[in-house]
Amino acid sequence: MNPKPQYSVMLFKAVSYVLKAEKILKKEGLPHKIIPVPKYISSDCGICIRFEPAMQDKIEAALANKVEIEETRTLDN
Amino acid sequence: MSDTKTVDARGLACPQPVVLAKQAIETNEKIKVLVDNETALENVKRLGTKLGCEVKVDIGKDGSYEIKLKRKADWAGTKDDIIPSCNAETPLSGPFVIAISANTMGRGSDELGTVLIRAFLHTVAEQTQKPDVMIFYNTGVMLTVQGSEVLDDLKQLERAGVQLLVCGTCLNYFEIKEKLVVGIVSNMYDIADTMSRAGRLLVP
Repeated sequence: MNPKPQYSVMLFKAVSYVLKAEKILKKEGLPHKIIPVPKYISSDCGICIRFEPAMQDKIEAALANKVEIEETRTLDN
Repeated sequence: MSDTKTVDARGLACPQPVVLAKQAIETNEKIKVLVDNETALENVKRLGTKLGCEVKVDIGKDGSYEIKLKRKADWAGTKDDIIPSCNAETPLSGPFVIAISANTMGRGSDELGTVLIRAFLHTVAEQTQKPDVMIFYNTGVMLTVQGSEVLDDLKQLERAGVQLLVCGTCLNYFEIKEKLVVGIVSNMYDIADTMSRAGRLLVP
C-alpha cells in the first residue's frame, strides 16, 4: 500500500457556496474532489472540497472575491 | 501455562456473548466460550480472528458450541470497535448489493442530487464494509463512463474486489457504451438475479 496522500479541505457556509466554488474550479481546471465533511470536523451532513495542499494558493486565488471560504484545514489521516 | 477461563454465554442474546468473550480474553490467555446458537458462534469466532487468537470449535451433543480462543504470540490487546452490531452483522444469506438507479441521489434537486451521489460513492469507497456488488442502471450508468466525476472512487472499489455491473441496455439507450471506463457490461438476467439473491440491497 502506498502511504495515504495528504489532503486539505475547504469548508463553506452553505452547500450553494460549495456548488459555486466547484463550478469555478472546474472551469479553471484545478483538481479537487467533493467529499462529505469529515465527522470529526462537523457532524452536520455537509459537503466540502478536498484538494492537495500544493493547490491551496491557486484554489484560493481562483475563488477570491467570488466565493466566501469559511475555513481551510489539513485532514488527519 | 495459565488456566482456561470458561465463559458460559448460553442463552444470551447478541452482543452479550462477544462482550463477555472480549472481557475474558483481555485478562486470560486462554478462554473457552459456550454458546448455543450459530450467530453467537460466528460472532465469537470472528472476534477471535480479529484479535489474532487461535480459534478452535467443538460442537457439543446438545447443539451447543464450545469455542476455544488462545492468544497468539503477537497478541496486541483488544480493540474497542470490535463488538458486532447485532442487526447488521448477523450472517447474511446473500451478497451485499448497492443498486445505483440514477446519477443523482434522492429526488428533488438534481443539482443537489449530483453532489450527494458523489459524496455517497466517496464514502462507500472509503468505508471498511464494502458491498460485494454494485449495479448501475438508468442514468446511474452515466457514473461509469468517461467524464464521470466518480471514476476514481469506482476504480478504487473495483480494486477492492467489488463487482460493478453496468446495465447494457442503458448504456445503449444513452449511446455511451463505447465510453465505459469501469465495470462490466451486464444484462437484466444478471441484474435481477443478483438483486434477488442479495442478503442486503441498498438503493441510495
